[in-house]
Amino acid sequence: MSYVLRRIGQAILVLALAYTAAYLLLAALPGDAIMARYASPDLGLTPEQIQAIREALGYDKPLVVQYLASIAGFLRGDFGFSVQSGAAVSDLIAAALPSTLILAVLGLGLAVFLGVTIAFTGTYGKGRWLRRTFRNVPPLFVSLPVFWVGIILIQIFSFRLGWVPVIGADPVQALILPVITLAVPIAAPLAQVLMRSIDEVREQPFVTVVQARGASTSWLLWRNVARNALLPTLTMAGLLFGELVGGAVVTETVFARAGIGQLTAQAVANRDTPVLLAVVVVSTVAFVTINLIVDLLYPVLDARLRTGGRRGRRGPSESATDRAADLELAAVLPKGDPS
Amino acid sequence: MSRITRAALAAASTAAAVALIAGCSAADPSTSPTDASGEPQTGGTLTYLEPQTWNTLYPPSAGFYPNGGIVNNITDRLLYQNPDTLELEPWIATEYTVNDDATEYTFTLRTDVTYSDGSVLDAENVVKNIDLFGQGDPDRALPVSEAINNYDHGEVTGDDTVTFYFTAPSPGFAQAVSTINSGLLSDETLDRTGEQFGPGNATDIIGSGPFVVADEEIGTQTSLTAREDYDWAPPSLEHQGAAYLDGIDYIVAGEDSVRVGTVVAGQADIARQIEAPDEAQFAASGLSLYAASTNGVNNGLSFRFNDDRLSDIRVRQALIAGIDRQQIVDTLFTENYPLATGALATTALGYIDTSEYYTYDPDKAASLLEEAGWTLNAAGIREKDGTTLSLTFNEALPQPRSKEVVTLIQEQLAKLGVEVSIYAGDQAAQTAASLDQDQIQVYHSMVGRADFDVLKSQYFSHNRNTLLNLDTASDTVRDEELDTLLAAVASEPTTAEREAASAAAQQYLAENAYILPIFEEPQVFGLTDKVQGFSTESVGRPSFYSTWLVG
Repeated sequence: MSYVLRRIGQAILVLALAYTAAYLLLAALPGDAIMARYASPDLGLTPEQIQAIREALGYDKPLVVQYLASIAGFLRGDFGFSVQSGAAVSDLIAAALPSTLILAVLGLGLAVFLGVTIAFTGTYGKGRWLRRTFRNVPPLFVSLPVFWVGIILIQIFSFRLGWVPVIGADPVQALILPVITLAVPIAAPLAQVLMRSIDEVREQPFVTVVQARGASTSWLLWRNVARNALLPTLTMAGLLFGELVGGAVVTETVFARAGIGQLTAQAVANRDTPVLLAVVVVSTVAFVTINLIVDLLYPVLDARLRTGGRRGRRGPSESATDRAADLELAAVLPKGDPS
Repeated sequence: MSRITRAALAAASTAAAVALIAGCSAADPSTSPTDASGEPQTGGTLTYLEPQTWNTLYPPSAGFYPNGGIVNNITDRLLYQNPDTLELEPWIATEYTVNDDATEYTFTLRTDVTYSDGSVLDAENVVKNIDLFGQGDPDRALPVSEAINNYDHGEVTGDDTVTFYFTAPSPGFAQAVSTINSGLLSDETLDRTGEQFGPGNATDIIGSGPFVVADEEIGTQTSLTAREDYDWAPPSLEHQGAAYLDGIDYIVAGEDSVRVGTVVAGQADIARQIEAPDEAQFAASGLSLYAASTNGVNNGLSFRFNDDRLSDIRVRQALIAGIDRQQIVDTLFTENYPLATGALATTALGYIDTSEYYTYDPDKAASLLEEAGWTLNAAGIREKDGTTLSLTFNEALPQPRSKEVVTLIQEQLAKLGVEVSIYAGDQAAQTAASLDQDQIQVYHSMVGRADFDVLKSQYFSHNRNTLLNLDTASDTVRDEELDTLLAAVASEPTTAEREAASAAAQQYLAENAYILPIFEEPQVFGLTDKVQGFSTESVGRPSFYSTWLVG
């Protein structure tokens, strides 16, 4: 229990640091949201008029005061107003979050499916050429930029073949291409890590023993190898959530989808600090939570990371994290030509 | 490892090539619609693609195209400016009078106009509108309208007449009340704060226009429906009564290739901002381009003459002679971007031809620089008294291909030994830097507005101040004469006098080599042949009132 509390403490620290860093970096850039919104030549306002608006919105106060005020606001659950549009940030986030969540969950789901398929075929697939081909898929996938994949998918499947409309699609149609776009770059590292750890697990003596006792390939794969190879992949999946956020920015912009990603892209372009800070907080919370869940899952998945009884909870859990880190490291470090 | 890498690379490049070939060969052009020029048909919802989301529906801020595209269709104005002739015609006001020194305007209003919430558009309401637009309200973060100058107050002077008073002559006011910046709103809407005009509130912004906001998905889509009881279109229009369309869906598609491809594939009807390189795709049958003139100050460069290096007129003249504008237009743009012949677009009010000042002559440029004492140093860059002639240009993010334009200029001026660098940064950073002549010495920009005042808007010390004639640090005006000339454009009471004032100011800008106009900037729309009767207001915002869709 105290382990969980400690992890939550760490999470809050991470959140505070991310918030402060984002705040300082945004403040350090030349120009601010008032500049972006009201000093734009489209409006033709004089410096005095802009200054009056700056004062009305409280942007003339010292940075420290603004920073503390924004923290106080967040603690009260008040995310403030977008400088660019004046809309309540909580409304913007609430409107954007569901569609991004659906996109992210489906994207991650497809990525896991793709990753597992590629990894299993690349390691246990029938025929040397098939295995080799699939081993080459992750490097290919990882080198495709998300926006490029999106544009090419649109060009081929929507504009050329006309299978799914980009504009005026029903909710299901509207998800197909974006989910594929998002899944491709995430599937690649998953498959890579999974393949590496399968390769490693296969070398271990127990595999030979199980095989000698007459286990079929699929029994071996599903019951023995996969379970052991899963941990580093799970860690990777947690970390890939970051990629998912980045991917959503690009995917939503290319596909003109509403969501956190598009909101972020627009807020960055307009230097909309309140919106950006809210996005930073939301994604940091999600990132930290997902990685916390992943860490807590280790003992559930791997008997070696459990010790008998509840009294020794703290010690073994710590070693669980360390053990997972070792596994992950081992999986990621190159160990010569796998083929 | 190396074998795998090689194999992967090969696979990747093959896949890329295949995908590119597949992606690049354009979709089959949709078959040409029949009966394209027949009688207007009613019904149908038009899909309009915007590169950006709108950020407010407060009319004085409607200069931003995504905002203006909606405001223009949900509001009416006191007067109607014919986009072809730029003449002012009756609309909500049946007539207007102005006193001799243009300090009092009286409008007579129609009495049958209602807002979409049922409230009446009457004299009190009109005064409330113009008072807000002419004075602004900083406490509610509602800025004053750029188009309204010297505003004092408005009064109801009869059942259906209103009079507006000005502290100084304001000859541009009649045109100002015809622009989208003066779109009339219901009393309740006028009580909203700046925030309440933002996204999430679109359905509560009530105008009297032919369309009404019916639905809004923040950041992606805004849907308008036609008002069936609309019956107060400008009398000079052929079309009267309700709009032909049932509605319009404004959809945001930021990615250029997606916006273009969607219209080319027939999934949407119109897209705004077709970049010059994409124009060729609309040459296919069933598609067309609509290039709307913006009738204002041309896309061009302002030389900040207070900078030590640019304070010498010979240096400015050398830059002008050293930049090959024809090459810029030919390599980066299309025939929809005509070479500029003066500060203003040829269709703008008050335009005069000053093209003789802007001829390309690199030899003359080199000798001017020599004369001014700028000699080539060992690195091939001009130098004088230890300072090098290296200038920073901004990147005009809202303008088409600004970065490419400046890059080409960089190449052209490098031949003369002038070093050009581009200020990189987002809009807020560009805006901040452009106020400081130590950071930006040459400012790339344009402004569209169909009135004489546009010249003043761009160059006057207390408007956009693109020349930094007003030194913001010391709050002093460097060239008083320029300011006097520009001020006259916006304060002479009669059209003939304003015309003369505008011509004098343009001549002064040209003679002093303060600016280099590059091209007349259009708003380019790409549309399918299904769309008929599409037009724009005087600065290129779409008007859908008379637009109809073929069957």
